[in-house]
Amino acid sequence: MLSRVAASFYWLSRYIERSDGILRMLKINYASSQDAIQGFTWEPVIRIFSGADQELFDKLNNDSRTVINYMVTDKTNPNSIISIITHSRENARGVQEHINTDLWQCLNEYYHCVQDKSLSTRLKKEDPISVLDILIKQVMLYYGTAEVTMERGPGRSFMNIGKYLERAIQSIDILDIKFGPLNNNPDLLTDTTYWKHLLQSLGGYELYLKTYRDGLEAHNVLEQVILNNDFPRSVIYSVNNIQRYFDRLKLDSSMTDYQELSFFIGKLQSHIKYSSVKGIQNDGLHLYLTHLKDQLYQIGNLMNERYFANS
Amino acid sequence: MYKEAHFDGYNSIPGVWDEMYLQNSDIRPHYQRVIDYLSKESPDDLGKKEELAQRLFMKQGITFTVYNSGEGIEKIFPFDIIPRIITGSEWNFVEKGIKQRLTALNLFLKDIYHNQFIVKDGIIPIDAIYSCPHFLREMYQVDVPYDIYVHIAGIDLIRDEEGTFYVLEDNLRTPSGVSYMLENREITKRLFPDLLPNCGVRSVTDYPNILYRNLQALSPRRVSNPTIVLLSPGIYNSAYFEHTTLARLMGVELVEGRDLVVNNQKVYMKTTTGLQQVDVIYRRVDDEYLDPLVFNPNSVLGVPGIMGAYRKGNVAIVNAIGNGVADDKSIYIYVPDMIKYYLNEEPLLKNVPTYRLNNPDEQKLVFENINKMVIKKTNESGGYGMLMGHASTEEEIDRYKLEILKEPRNFIAQPTISLSAAPCYIQGALRPRRIDLRPYALCGPDGIEIVPGGLTRVALKEGSLVVNSSQGGGSKDTWVLA
Amino acid sequence: MPEFKIQHITRYSYDGAVRDSANQVILFPIVDVHQTVLKHDLHITGNPIVDTHVDYYGNEVGSFTYSVPHNQMVINSQLVVNTMPRQLPMDDIFPAQQWETLTQLQYTVPYIDFLKREYFDGIDELKAVVSGQKNEGDTPYQLALRFCQYVYKNFEYIKGVTTVESKLEEIWKLKAGVCQDFAHMLTEMLRLVNIPARYVSGYICPNHSGMRGEGATHAWAEAYIPNYGWLGLDPTNNCIANETHVRLAVGRNFLDCSPVKGVYKGSSGHHLEVAVSVGYQDHEPEPIADKFAERVTAPGPFTNNGNDGSKNSYQRYMEMIQQQQQQQQQQQ
Repeated sequence: MLSRVAASFYWLSRYIERSDGILRMLKINYASSQDAIQGFTWEPVIRIFSGADQELFDKLNNDSRTVINYMVTDKTNPNSIISIITHSRENARGVQEHINTDLWQCLNEYYHCVQDKSLSTRLKKEDPISVLDILIKQVMLYYGTAEVTMERGPGRSFMNIGKYLERAIQSIDILDIKFGPLNNNPDLLTDTTYWKHLLQSLGGYELYLKTYRDGLEAHNVLEQVILNNDFPRSVIYSVNNIQRYFDRLKLDSSMTDYQELSFFIGKLQSHIKYSSVKGIQNDGLHLYLTHLKDQLYQIGNLMNERYFANS
Repeated sequence: MYKEAHFDGYNSIPGVWDEMYLQNSDIRPHYQRVIDYLSKESPDDLGKKEELAQRLFMKQGITFTVYNSGEGIEKIFPFDIIPRIITGSEWNFVEKGIKQRLTALNLFLKDIYHNQFIVKDGIIPIDAIYSCPHFLREMYQVDVPYDIYVHIAGIDLIRDEEGTFYVLEDNLRTPSGVSYMLENREITKRLFPDLLPNCGVRSVTDYPNILYRNLQALSPRRVSNPTIVLLSPGIYNSAYFEHTTLARLMGVELVEGRDLVVNNQKVYMKTTTGLQQVDVIYRRVDDEYLDPLVFNPNSVLGVPGIMGAYRKGNVAIVNAIGNGVADDKSIYIYVPDMIKYYLNEEPLLKNVPTYRLNNPDEQKLVFENINKMVIKKTNESGGYGMLMGHASTEEEIDRYKLEILKEPRNFIAQPTISLSAAPCYIQGALRPRRIDLRPYALCGPDGIEIVPGGLTRVALKEGSLVVNSSQGGGSKDTWVLA
Repeated sequence: MPEFKIQHITRYSYDGAVRDSANQVILFPIVDVHQTVLKHDLHITGNPIVDTHVDYYGNEVGSFTYSVPHNQMVINSQLVVNTMPRQLPMDDIFPAQQWETLTQLQYTVPYIDFLKREYFDGIDELKAVVSGQKNEGDTPYQLALRFCQYVYKNFEYIKGVTTVESKLEEIWKLKAGVCQDFAHMLTEMLRLVNIPARYVSGYICPNHSGMRGEGATHAWAEAYIPNYGWLGLDPTNNCIANETHVRLAVGRNFLDCSPVKGVYKGSSGHHLEVAVSVGYQDHEPEPIADKFAERVTAPGPFTNNGNDGSKNSYQRYMEMIQQQQQQQQQQQ
């Protein structure tokens, strides 16, 4: 497979996954902003997707609608839904002869949906959740179509590696940012809404309730988001899938590249697998998460270098 | 039954060859079956067919991209549902004429990049060649496989009021539009079930197979399965759809410049398993952008060093580099002379009379009769930069004249030729509209093959003579009868 | 019969690793009765295979690629060249007859290529200068010498005011430049009076200091003189280019003769350093380790990180590709 084609698959899929994360995050945070009479802040969301930019915080002024519009329809924001879906579609266009029409049309529709000029007004005037739901549905449609129509070949493996890499990084980012303030504000530890929102924004609240009977506890949240094999947004679930789809690339790789990356991914996988919440907390969560993220970035870099011919 | 409904108000344009009607408004025999078929369809049915055609094009994403202020807009190339029909004998003549012309053009290219006999013998003035920006000195003494330069040609033909065919332009670089020939036919099969076999229409589907076979034959490596790629400028090119279609139909990899790399005078593509040597490149990137090391250094669409690999014969490039010197509008004038010079034959297909504006006498003649002239830039195509004398204001003409006087070499003039007309389905009824014809010829080691058909372009605006897609033109399915 | 030992080093240093570099060098001296090459060692980082061919103008051109990631590329050309002085034109044929010969040549190969004028803003001023310089009864040779002197006297030799891409218009406005620009201007003037003129790239080996163009590659012009042939004229030094000038290539202009050029992939900018040193007879050339004559800094890489909403996706795409491919070329 052409390196460029492989890279396009990987990136188109990473962008879609990122858009999914952003949309859910916006939806849950908007809902929680409606619960809080005071003290609600968009800062963590902005930090996750746009970095710690004081100028930007000031500009957006913690106003829900302004933040949502910035994150969805603002072309000047490189990580807005409109920007990343445009990138995703361009990647798909470059591999159009490798994906089937259904998938292309699906992505095309998502793109046109985001491009719709009325979107911005509606996000300002109507119920933002309904509008976000329309977009979330587009992502779901895409995932369904990809699952049903994509040929079970290397293209799909590259797509899934991109998807799970992006997902793992997002979950880590969310944990890192949400657990960060605990040092200065130990009261948060017992703030149940705080943990509920974290889980909801990852779509993991219901699973949590089923798994843990003794209420919302930070260390349980940590366990679910990092170590639960059945939680589709946990770090271990994503890394397992990276390993699984990378394994299928064996025949489409040069042997040395394959072995090196395979070893690297396997090492990360075991590292997480044999972690415990206690151990993580002893070592320091932030340090642990930073290490995981570095390793995931390293996988991305190696893919870029060895498979996408961008050394 | 519905014949009147379709044809009432169809007035043949005076002084214009009508492909369907004879002078006395009788239908030409080769259109009879189609007319019979259409007569059974109500105007409503035809309307539905037109809608179906639109839908099919949209769904399949058969679009081209137009750039407006940098942002690309995807558009459908307008399609007219009524086929254009060419008789077997007309086609035989056209086919022979194109083969003759291409044979001579190929010999010309070989000659001009080697011995230049035709210049030495004074048939073509030397400055016509040396002032041509497409005469590439980098190609001098470079040998190409089988001495074939023009592997794919799209020869534009028009018909005057007598029905005589003229060559309007030779497209020998990267002629486009062949995907529309193929797609239009597929759509017609859906629109008019069974009509094609009933009328004895010859098939065009062989095109990708012939092209593939020819590409394969050019491989410099004697391997059973050479690597053939189609080099596209990428998703922002207006013909990107065509590139993907042809790559898919031939089963070859669609690549961009950044997918290829030259290493020790060999071309490789970058794959996930490493570098893979490329043997044949069907490129849809213009000469100027093909190798930033040798040609336009700012090009990011090409492959640095590819000219070296080509010169060494390590990769075949289709069409050859430097063909522009043969289809330049100011060289066009000499094609009939080439045919006589190289083949010792009389040209079958005529040239449209053409005046060079860098020749003082001809310039004078053109300026005096500017209302009857079409003036074109020699280095532009696609209907850009033209002046249609009969349809321009005095001010426009004066402005254009000034431009000509700055660099007269860059302009030629031709008398306005009355393109032939064919029936088109326009707002619920059939109306005559002007058309041209671009058959696609393929030259391989075994000779020249032309699939019976081509792209008929049509000026959909009433009274318009410009068929280019960029100027409001559309296309028709083109039938060649057995 | 002077013998020169020439060392010409071109060094590209990159800020980070670059790869897939494709290069072309025209560093092989012309071989004819006035110039012979006794020895030529061409060493390039990574020892790539240099494939050579003869171009349209008869120059030997080398091409090579260097694919693996690298931070530096050095092209080291070491030459031993013999030159033989050539007699100057007798110039004893009636001027009118000589001009007539030139008129007859203008539509023949190869002269047609060397008569093509460039249009630029200021060409009318230059035409006025050209006709002002021309006296009744001048032979082409006399006029060519006068043009050479004109360029020498009216243009200032200043490094760094022009670039490798400077056009006539710019040079004409500045009335300054380096040898590339001087040669460019002289060829245009000669072509305006129908004297075929070529651009020449090479080395100057004066055996005494003070000549312009030392320490780097040099450029000058050649005029076609009837009954004589191509005559070298060095407008930078106002002299006839004879046995002190070693010719590497001839062509219509700089682009045909560019001694070293290349394209590479990578987002890093590059620094170009060129050094030429000449040793005479038994003297070795001075070591040139730290004596680079020119230091050209290329514009930095394009950055893609800014929140630049003013660009549409097409422009960003082009920039992205551009960022991956850059050119390198030196000025003469």
